[in-house]
Amino acid sequence: MLALRLLYRDWRGGELRLLALAVVVAVAAVTGVAWLADRVAAGTEARAADLLAADRAVEYPQPIPDEWQQRAQAAGLNTALTATFPTVVLAGDQNRLVSAKAVDDGYPLRGELRIQPDIGAAENRAEGIPEPGTAWLESRLLGLLGLGVGDTLEIGAMTLEVAAVLSFEPDRGQGFGSLAPRLMFNHADLEATELLGPGSRVRHKLLLAGELATAIRFTDALAAEHGNAVEIESPGEQGRGAAEVIDQAKRFLGLAALLTVIVAGVAVLLTVRHYAERQITGVAVMRAMGATRRQVMGLFIGKLLWLGLFAGAAGAALGYALHVAMLALIAELLGTELPPAGWQPLLTGWLTAGAALLGFALPTLSRLRDAPPMRVLRQDLGSHLLRAGAPLLVAAAVIFGLMALQAGDLLVTLSVFGAVVSTLAVLTAVAAGVVYGARAWSRRSGQARLLWLTGFTRRPLTAVIQIVAVGVGLMSLFLLAVVRNDLLSAWQAEIPPDAPNQFLINIQSDEVDGVRQMLTDAGIETRFYPMVRARMTELNGAPVSAEDYDSPQARRLARREFNLSWTGTLQSDNDIVAGDWWGDADSPPPQLSVETEFAEEIGVDLGDRLTFGAGGRSVTAEVTSLREVRWESFNVNFFVLASPGTLDQLPRTWLTSFHLPVVDSHVLNDVIRSYPSVTPIDVTSVLRIVRTIIDQGSSVVELMALLTLAAGVLVLLAALQITGEERRFESALLRALGARGSRIRAMARLEFWLVGAIAGGLAGLAATGAGVVIAEVLFNLDYPFRPVTLVIGALVGLVTVWLAGALGARRYYRASPMRLLREG
Amino acid sequence: MPVETGLEAGTAAKSDKGSSSSVAPILEARGLAMRFDAPEGRISLFESLDLSIDAGDSLAILGTSGSGKSTLLGLLAGLDLPSAGTVVLDRHDLTKLDEDERAVLRSGRVGFVFQAFHLLPGLTALENVMLPAELVVDRHARQRARDALARVGLADRLAHYPAQLSGGEQQRVALARAFITQPGILFADEPTGNLDHRTGAQIIDLLFELNRDHGTTLVLVTHDQAVAERCHHVRYLRDGRLFEAAA
Ligand SMILES: Nc1ncnc2c1ncn2[C@@H]1O[C@H](COP(=O)(O)OP(=O)(O)O)[C@@H](O)[C@H]1O
Ligand SMILES: [Mg+2]
Repeated sequence: MLALRLLYRDWRGGELRLLALAVVVAVAAVTGVAWLADRVAAGTEARAADLLAADRAVEYPQPIPDEWQQRAQAAGLNTALTATFPTVVLAGDQNRLVSAKAVDDGYPLRGELRIQPDIGAAENRAEGIPEPGTAWLESRLLGLLGLGVGDTLEIGAMTLEVAAVLSFEPDRGQGFGSLAPRLMFNHADLEATELLGPGSRVRHKLLLAGELATAIRFTDALAAEHGNAVEIESPGEQGRGAAEVIDQAKRFLGLAALLTVIVAGVAVLLTVRHYAERQITGVAVMRAMGATRRQVMGLFIGKLLWLGLFAGAAGAALGYALHVAMLALIAELLGTELPPAGWQPLLTGWLTAGAALLGFALPTLSRLRDAPPMRVLRQDLGSHLLRAGAPLLVAAAVIFGLMALQAGDLLVTLSVFGAVVSTLAVLTAVAAGVVYGARAWSRRSGQARLLWLTGFTRRPLTAVIQIVAVGVGLMSLFLLAVVRNDLLSAWQAEIPPDAPNQFLINIQSDEVDGVRQMLTDAGIETRFYPMVRARMTELNGAPVSAEDYDSPQARRLARREFNLSWTGTLQSDNDIVAGDWWGDADSPPPQLSVETEFAEEIGVDLGDRLTFGAGGRSVTAEVTSLREVRWESFNVNFFVLASPGTLDQLPRTWLTSFHLPVVDSHVLNDVIRSYPSVTPIDVTSVLRIVRTIIDQGSSVVELMALLTLAAGVLVLLAALQITGEERRFESALLRALGARGSRIRAMARLEFWLVGAIAGGLAGLAATGAGVVIAEVLFNLDYPFRPVTLVIGALVGLVTVWLAGALGARRYYRASPMRLLREG
Repeated sequence: MPVETGLEAGTAAKSDKGSSSSVAPILEARGLAMRFDAPEGRISLFESLDLSIDAGDSLAILGTSGSGKSTLLGLLAGLDLPSAGTVVLDRHDLTKLDEDERAVLRSGRVGFVFQAFHLLPGLTALENVMLPAELVVDRHARQRARDALARVGLADRLAHYPAQLSGGEQQRVALARAFITQPGILFADEPTGNLDHRTGAQIIDLLFELNRDHGTTLVLVTHDQAVAERCHHVRYLRDGRLFEAAA
């Protein structure tokens, strides 16, 4: 209780405000991220069961045989069929690419469908599915087509009436497929659309629900009978991709939060040092009066615990607000209601507060227990007490521990820790070079003339600390704000202006000439590529199974059908890096050319024999070359190319791509009207969506960077507090010597400008440097080193430090010289 | 003419005015030496001091600035350990105790008054006075502190912070703090050094009053001859030796 009372006094005396603020900022960063991650993850988990709309699902490239459904029902399982495919629907002169989904009675077996009777009307749970001859459309799609409930639209050869607005569908899923708006109709109408031709991209599914063991027995039996042709899905798998992304994002944000904790930790180290210095005499008095070292320690630990309790709660409150803000920023990406916030992050917040205080503050404060009682008689005793490096070592250890906890991986921890330490080291070295250089220079050129430099150069150490701390905060901000934009535009600059932005896929062989004619009439000359969708069934005669691969990507490739093509001429954006191209010979022997990264992923090399199967037929050929592909050309490219004739046994469709300067829906409309199964893909909107995802994601990270900057400003204020007495004295002395207040303030201002400009300049330099490295290493982009970032950085830093410094140091320069001198 | 006391103060006290007659001395120092390692080499402040004081007595130590009075006082109170010699306080040999054991010995038994007051700036007058009582866990600390402050005439200043009090008032709070645990012995290092003459005199009057009321032993460092005169015994510290008479 004494500790609490003393803490309250310290607080009232303004002694601990910065310390507490630093803890609040650190806790806010950590809890904000914890809450965000918690709720997004919990939201995903809660949906996992519904994500499949079933307990198990069987996907099959062809319509589900009736026999399967009968067997499942005989075994006591509930069943439902779905068929999903991209197609274009027409309404009047409007047309839109939609993701159509045909469902039959019983769907969804898990979760619920929600619909509105009309646009804007209240949403309620759907009883059943769309009646035959009707469709439910997302309201977005209704808007795009200019339709209302009761209107009609054409899908393939079928006309459907809009019966309701579809507002929620449990197994909507993620990925590009889900970017197109949904149209849902009755499975009984599927045949009549005439969209089920060979090579069409329909995903047929049999949904199963019931006793889990029965469902598993049934799917195992199907898998045994049909091998790789059927794909069994369980709820976990549906959520796995999302969970992985969330996990990575959580780790990244966690590390970003940790950066804030580290910078705030520096503020704690500085303020607590200042605070402890002022406590030495008091502790000596207590010790003289008979307080033991344990009592002294108990007192300070008590103070820290109370402080941690309050600051932790305040920080958690701020963190909560922060996560609400971040959720709002990514609302579009989440799209669903999230479960209410849990209380665990509050605990995390207190643990963080505890770690920050015990790790950064206690080592310094605990030195006080050795305050010599003799100090009550001789003021100079014990002044050296706090001059020890141990607290720094403890702080480094605590930081490392927190990182290990956050990253959960020693290698990642070591590299992040190494990166942080070396960035700090470089920043410190450069800052020290500049500050000490300026000091030496000002000494040499005469003190009097450069009087204005004294504040900066008389306290070189605190100047360096301020520069580094503010620099780290600004650097993370710049890296995210400036460099991200540059990276995006660098990426976009790589895309040639006339890169294809429209794709037409799903063109049947007998439609190629017609489509080509329509495009030529519109002035578009383009190339058509054959495309075969097939599964890789054997490698060198041995069956391929997903379980043979470790990486999730390779497993996916092994399981899915993918696209093959053939050609006699190599495109200019392809380079043979191993083996020989088959050339333009009229009928070369069957052989394959594989893209290098893909080959590596699935473990294929020159000379291997691959077997591909589709529609019950298969083809085997030898890999005779490996290719490198420049994907950024945006041309159509394939992982696996075959020599002409090799794939003749397999069903194929055609696709083409071209650049449409203005999205001229006229041509596309005509094509789609004449050939309803042809599917157009407009890449410009995909690019826009990718950009939205990056923008929203990074605005969350930007918030975190702002917090880091706030911590950096706290360090600045802490350093100001430490030098406060000195400033007060200097100012009093100068005033007594006849300097005017404006002159003294001008000196201080110059000091802040210098600190800010150097910190900001260094931060800008470091950020653009990091941008170059990131661009080269991670994205393989040519990213120009931007010296202008240095100038922008210097300006931002100057203003930030100027404002913070003017606020923080104001009181040191205000009082009259008399009062200042009396206060000593 | 200076007379070097070969005898210990307690024996000499018999010739001093108005000595009380306790059996064992409450404080006894033998062969005290204090040396410091300075940049110029080892400095010896004193080599062999002997001193003894009976319970209830008062002793004034005088000397010029820098003669080592404060250092001696610190050794007697167990704030520091001598380079050689022993200090026995209340039958405990301080030189055989470690810092914490000495602290425990001091708590509740030893009071201090300092030249620089040394009130804790964050605490009110009342809380400052309560502090020593709380260290020995006294349930009545608050009431006692109130009484003690009333005794020094500050009943209406309980909630004031040190910065809101004058020097004399601060020193009175310090006196109240020194006496709250009813210590057996009180050490005062130039308690009037930071005060003007009149205020100083008031503090000294109060000090002797409290001393008389509580029967506390008093060890007082001063360079005010008039203050010294009011003590049972007087010693002069000069050139590392203790003398009974001024130079
Ligand atoms: N810890 C110490 N280290 C070095 N010198 C000391 C120390 N303590 C005291 N001294 C020296 O001993 C001398 C006496 O100091 P002090 O006892 O404070 O004298 P007084 O109180 O009589 O003025 C001074 O010269 C002082 O510098
Ligand atoms: Mg002294």
